[in-house]
Amino acid sequence: MSELTGSRISPEEREYELRAQIGSIWSGGRLFIGIYTFAIASLVFTYFYLRSTNSASLWRTPGETAPVAMGYAIWICTLLVAFLANYGRRRLRAGFAQDFVVAGWTATGVGLLGLFFQIYILTQVPFYPGANGYSSMFIGYSIFNIGTLVVMTYWIETTTVRAMRVRRELGGDKPELSKHEMAQLFRADVASMVYFQGFIAVAATLFLAMFYWM
Amino acid sequence: MTISAERPVDVVAGAPSLPVSKVSWTQRPGWVSQHLGTAVVMGFLGYVFGHWLGNYIASGYTYVQNTGQNNIADTLALAFMVLGWLLGIGALNYPLLKIVGREPAEEEIPIKHWSRFFRFSLDHKVVGLQYVVGVLLFMFTGGLLAMAVRAELLSPTFHLFSADTYIKIVSEHGTVMMMMATSIIVGPLGNYFVPLMIGARRMAFPRIEAFSFWIFTAGYMVIFAALPYGGFPTGWTGYAPLQTQAGPGMIGYLLGFAVIGTGMIASGFNIGVTIINYRAPGLTWNRIPVFVWSILATASLLTLATPVLFVGGFLGLLDKTVQTAFYVNEHGGSAYLWQNLFWFFGHPEVYIMALPGFGIAGELLPVFTRKPLFAYKVSAAGMMGVALLSFFVWQHHLFQSGINPDMRPLFMLTTELISIPTGFIYLVGLGTMYKAKIRFRLPMMFVMALFFNFLIGGVTGVFLSDVPVNVTVHGGFFVLAHFHYTIMGGLLFAFMAGLYYWLPKMTGRMMNEKIGKWHFWTMFIFFNLTFFPMFFIGLLGQPRRVFEYASNLQGLNDFASISAFLLGVSFIIFAFNLAWSMWINPVKAPANPWDSLGLEWQTASPVPHDNFERIPVIMTDPYRYGEPDAPAFADLGVAVGSNSHEA
Repeated sequence: MSELTGSRISPEEREYELRAQIGSIWSGGRLFIGIYTFAIASLVFTYFYLRSTNSASLWRTPGETAPVAMGYAIWICTLLVAFLANYGRRRLRAGFAQDFVVAGWTATGVGLLGLFFQIYILTQVPFYPGANGYSSMFIGYSIFNIGTLVVMTYWIETTTVRAMRVRRELGGDKPELSKHEMAQLFRADVASMVYFQGFIAVAATLFLAMFYWM
Repeated sequence: MTISAERPVDVVAGAPSLPVSKVSWTQRPGWVSQHLGTAVVMGFLGYVFGHWLGNYIASGYTYVQNTGQNNIADTLALAFMVLGWLLGIGALNYPLLKIVGREPAEEEIPIKHWSRFFRFSLDHKVVGLQYVVGVLLFMFTGGLLAMAVRAELLSPTFHLFSADTYIKIVSEHGTVMMMMATSIIVGPLGNYFVPLMIGARRMAFPRIEAFSFWIFTAGYMVIFAALPYGGFPTGWTGYAPLQTQAGPGMIGYLLGFAVIGTGMIASGFNIGVTIINYRAPGLTWNRIPVFVWSILATASLLTLATPVLFVGGFLGLLDKTVQTAFYVNEHGGSAYLWQNLFWFFGHPEVYIMALPGFGIAGELLPVFTRKPLFAYKVSAAGMMGVALLSFFVWQHHLFQSGINPDMRPLFMLTTELISIPTGFIYLVGLGTMYKAKIRFRLPMMFVMALFFNFLIGGVTGVFLSDVPVNVTVHGGFFVLAHFHYTIMGGLLFAFMAGLYYWLPKMTGRMMNEKIGKWHFWTMFIFFNLTFFPMFFIGLLGQPRRVFEYASNLQGLNDFASISAFLLGVSFIIFAFNLAWSMWINPVKAPANPWDSLGLEWQTASPVPHDNFERIPVIMTDPYRYGEPDAPAFADLGVAVGSNSHEA
């Protein structure tokens, strides 16, 4: 498999292992979305369970709302990251690899900004965490979402750095789009990353509706 | 693209798919690198730092000053201990270096030295053996706690422990055993043998695999940290409101489950993706060994059900630390919420534990009956059916907790339905054994014991799914006996079968059959003598988790306790056999001691670093025993008989 292990493999086997690696990135990315779906579904279940149970008539104090502007700012950041990731991928497919790098770094910056807002909002909430079901839910989701934003930002940042590494190590014209193994694995990673960002954007919209519209 | 049976002759020196950086000093063998010792040091430093940070943040909070209990400090101490542990072992090198585009090569230098077992290894075989030691450590410590429980129950009036200590011992025992049981087969045998059985040279994500083991060990420390923190009084189910009212030991429980849960997700994720993508050419879905099917079904449950437990534990930790009220009825939360989240994971967990056991049984039966596996497709469908249905039964655990009574028939029905695919698996076993000339070797004896025990556990489970019976015996020893019959009687016997069967491949040494039979008979007899009386103890009204009981039940309890101690002796015999066979008097294992057709037995012994010299091509079905003219299961592309363990 490698020089380090001293194994010798045929070209057919190398191709087979490459297909397996690409398939793993593809199915791993989708399975990761599955894992996240169940985690987010647990939070959605918690929200509606507490809301419908309304224990001690303390689901939500009338008029109580989490900080609106900050909440929307976090949502917009999440959407922007997903949009930029998707845009970067489209440009990459069209042959504009540099655009992917630019979009990637921009998305990383936006993700970090969203992360800052998500932490900052915890200092601005106008209620005690355990005041009622809504407040608990909001605090719980906010802390969970810090982790989500870290994962989002980490994934797009490392993919962007990887794009630069592919270019540096392979050289030549548009190495990201070449048939080199490294480039193929990179593109599979980009595809999985974009799907994940899109999924998180949808989930963020759902939670925005739950906390601010319902 | 396929690899045909007609092999190409041109073989090139393999080059890594990524241009590699040199192997980091942190991963090189030697003292100046990362290993268990650095993990211990970093874990300790992490603990101290976390505690300081928690005190710095929260020591001025009103509730901390009022109660004198800083849960934030305790939580951060344990969380940073886990983080330090992972940093120290080197699990976070790759993700951190990836941020700056300096991630090291995926390959590691294959270390021959025994110290590789104390490192973050990317070799699935090393991880498998690490898991063997890890789960045995879990099992023996959990077993010691069980001995303490049974010692207390020797007398209804004379007490070794206080009521408070007793419930904490019971809780720790249950939690440790449940955590261990989720990984006892997937961890050691799944990680070691799945790549070998599917003809793969590696796991899909070796770092995630190694991470799953080292975070598993961190989870072990966190859950045992609950004891010096005062323990937790909730049993393994951690029900609110007791959870909310409990002391800081509860943090060990909640964080421990979250940490172990992360490892379970990682483990299931990696194994599932590997099975989907790394199957050798020709290994179509209807040729996959049944053990691999069982691990795939389990992996799907691990990845999808465990996030719910993780979130449940996360919300519980928030209640304990930042004073949210998810499980506090008086503040708009609900104690039932925990029950729903916990059991949405908790019931699939039962099958996370049971399915790999069935997989081992299905794998071993054809070998020892010399017959093809009866109704192979039914077996695979049964496992996937069980996995799917297990998501729809969790509310039967809440029959007595005040759910809407109209919901009871629905969940009674789904629970009874799940006995159908389980029955399929059972019939597959019986069909394979029918009219077979069974070779009663040790692994087969454990498999037959599994069928015997699980029959009792399974049938009583059908009773328990019925609301009237459930209402009558809920919370008593009847339930306790039922789930010990399914988990210990099923899973643990299957694990032992797998261990006796595959240890020769893993270690190149045979387990001593004579001592093994002593182990088997003592374990089988005293397991049944311990737990069968508990059905009667339960029907006569003794509740779980209570250290005093009616004096007329002392005879039965004493009988169960003495049997339990002798059951403990059976594990000492096992430990002795392990030491005897592996170190004191090792006997070299033949290359294929059971005459198995399985792919894992066809590769060289000891298994080379890359498993197979050439990627095998699968030619036929996996269980064509008793067919003299059947073709070989796989074409390995190399001369057979290169086994150094040949006796």
